[in-house]
Amino acid sequence: MTLQQLLLDIRPEEAPSLNNFVVGDNAELMSRLNGLADPRVFDQIFLWGPPGSGRSHLLRGALAKAQARARPVILIDGAMLGEELAAAPGSLLIVDNVEALNESAQITLFRTFNAARLVGLALLLAGQSPPLRLALREDLRTRIGATLVYEVKPLSESDKADALKRHAHARGMRIDNALIDYLLRHGRRDLPSLLRVLDTLDRVSLEQQRVLTLPLLRDVLQTTLEQDHGPRTV
Amino acid sequence: MSEFWSVCLSRFEKELPAQQYNTWIKTLRLEDDADDPEARPTRLRLIAPNRFVLQWVRERYLDQIEALSRQFFQEPVSISLGLGSAPPDVAVSPQPQRETAMAPKNGSTRQAPAHIDNAYEKTRLNPDFTFDTLVTGRANDLARAAAQQVAMNPGTSYNPLFIYGGVGLGKTHLIHALGNEVWRQNPDIVIRYVHTEDYVSDVVRAYQQKSFDVFKRYYRSLDLLLVDDIQFFINKARTQEEFFYAFNALVEAKKQIVITCDTYPKDISGLEERLISRFDWGLTVQIEPPEQEMRVAILKKKAEASKIDLGDDVAFLVAKNLRSNVRELEGALNKVIAFARFHGRAIGMDMAKEALKDIFGATNRQLTLELIQKTVADYFKIKVAEMYSQKRTRAIARPRQVAMSLARDLTHHSLPEIGEAFGGRDHTTVLHACRTIADLRSKDAQLNNDVHVLMQSLKG
Repeated sequence: MTLQQLLLDIRPEEAPSLNNFVVGDNAELMSRLNGLADPRVFDQIFLWGPPGSGRSHLLRGALAKAQARARPVILIDGAMLGEELAAAPGSLLIVDNVEALNESAQITLFRTFNAARLVGLALLLAGQSPPLRLALREDLRTRIGATLVYEVKPLSESDKADALKRHAHARGMRIDNALIDYLLRHGRRDLPSLLRVLDTLDRVSLEQQRVLTLPLLRDVLQTTLEQDHGPRTV
Repeated sequence: MSEFWSVCLSRFEKELPAQQYNTWIKTLRLEDDADDPEARPTRLRLIAPNRFVLQWVRERYLDQIEALSRQFFQEPVSISLGLGSAPPDVAVSPQPQRETAMAPKNGSTRQAPAHIDNAYEKTRLNPDFTFDTLVTGRANDLARAAAQQVAMNPGTSYNPLFIYGGVGLGKTHLIHALGNEVWRQNPDIVIRYVHTEDYVSDVVRAYQQKSFDVFKRYYRSLDLLLVDDIQFFINKARTQEEFFYAFNALVEAKKQIVITCDTYPKDISGLEERLISRFDWGLTVQIEPPEQEMRVAILKKKAEASKIDLGDDVAFLVAKNLRSNVRELEGALNKVIAFARFHGRAIGMDMAKEALKDIFGATNRQLTLELIQKTVADYFKIKVAEMYSQKRTRAIARPRQVAMSLARDLTHHSLPEIGEAFGGRDHTTVLHACRTIADLRSKDAQLNNDVHVLMQSLKG
């Protein structure tokens, strides 16, 4: 029996920002989001995309940037919004998961839309589907539909490869391009899952003191699958 | 410098309708901070009396002012906009503070030195919404005519004017237009636009602070009360009662009331009978959803206001896809314009289609492996169970390969996950299926067509 190498968990965690998001086809969206930090900008933006598309990263990035520019800013999840919302005049209000707004929270957001012009609020809202498919009060849904709507566009394969390489590099992993290609071909297609595989690969490689090789990657992929779905039964 | 500003003023005076010129341009002040007035400035600062004027000027006139300055000084001059430092708003109006936490507090955010702008701000009217910017068609011509009539003779023609129609059809635009027109003709008339939700909040606040006298006095002091979305009164008995008394007092004093609602008054449940019967005293008009031609006209007018050349084909494309309300229709146009500006492209069909993808969601990412299996099985007329069976005859194996390859293309699943869903197959089998289908598509026209049709129907 070999002793398992215990790891001191000091992984380099990079806080989500607009600068460390892989832009891909989202250049126009990024430019809008960057603009929101300017206290003189009163855009109303809705961005949508499935889980794993990078929505939360973008929202937190917009929050950080606004804070850095000293614009008053609030980020709240739709499920947490209640009957009152205290947003200072001139601030940026970010609401994630609009699908999760309950009845009274929907009215709160509706009133926020109506007050935005008078008080001077910029709005950044996000959800999983385009406004036309949101199951919300019609008066609120159409207001969301009248904002500037952006889909968070999925990354191309080569953008994903770049992102994975950057991530590996940041962790100090020496990884062969062939492994990245294999991961892209065989792994899930959303970036967060792929990044998690890299993290696991790094951890396992250090724990078991094995070099980063294809067989190790295969093992990791198989283990991840079994953790998610239970052991294979053939 | 002041000479430049005089040139600017006279140019705008010639080009703009008097009301717009007086409201937006004449109120601006050019800040003169150069030591030597003869020196050529590299930077100019325009002071607006309040934030609304500032925003409006920035959006609509700043480009033009910059162009004029380039002409005048023969070199680029940067022009910035700022707010005038105004004495705090000390006018203690009996106007109740708005319940909403978002409302600006008196004096803290509003900076309006000119008495007239302050008065305008208090109306809470939106200067964007005028009769000029309202497109009329069969869907709203009666409502518009009624609103214009009321604007000409407030309090004496139809009282109340009750406007109803579905969400996003322009009710709010119409009553703001009415208010703006009345204000344009006589700024001394005391006008207030209030959304019903805010009215309810005012009542709650008055209740909590025991300040009903102030509340009543304020609402009864108005000459024109515009109440939006009265359906929000439903099941709020105390608010309805207060409104009932305010309504009676205003109508008796021949003060005008205009109300909007999303339904026909008699169809509103949860509203007191005595209120509904009073709404019948005046005129009730409907706004209907606009027909296609009107939707196109709305888009073209809005594009024109933004100085955008919008072709008929693009206008029809947008109008065809967004039928139910004007609000989202305009949102779609803004999207197209933003896309064109960012990418520096002229507005045409291809770019409009691309821009609108974000709104309609061209690809449906909610696709599940089960849905793909079922769709493919139905298409090839085999049982869904064959997708995970061990049979390997061509008639079953081929559709199964198609389904695997579609699963890889259309979902986020990994090869092992897909293999798992297809009867616990190895990931290499899935990879083989993907390669086989890709290869066959280039050789077998029938199969290529099958895959294409399946992909289209899955994407929706």
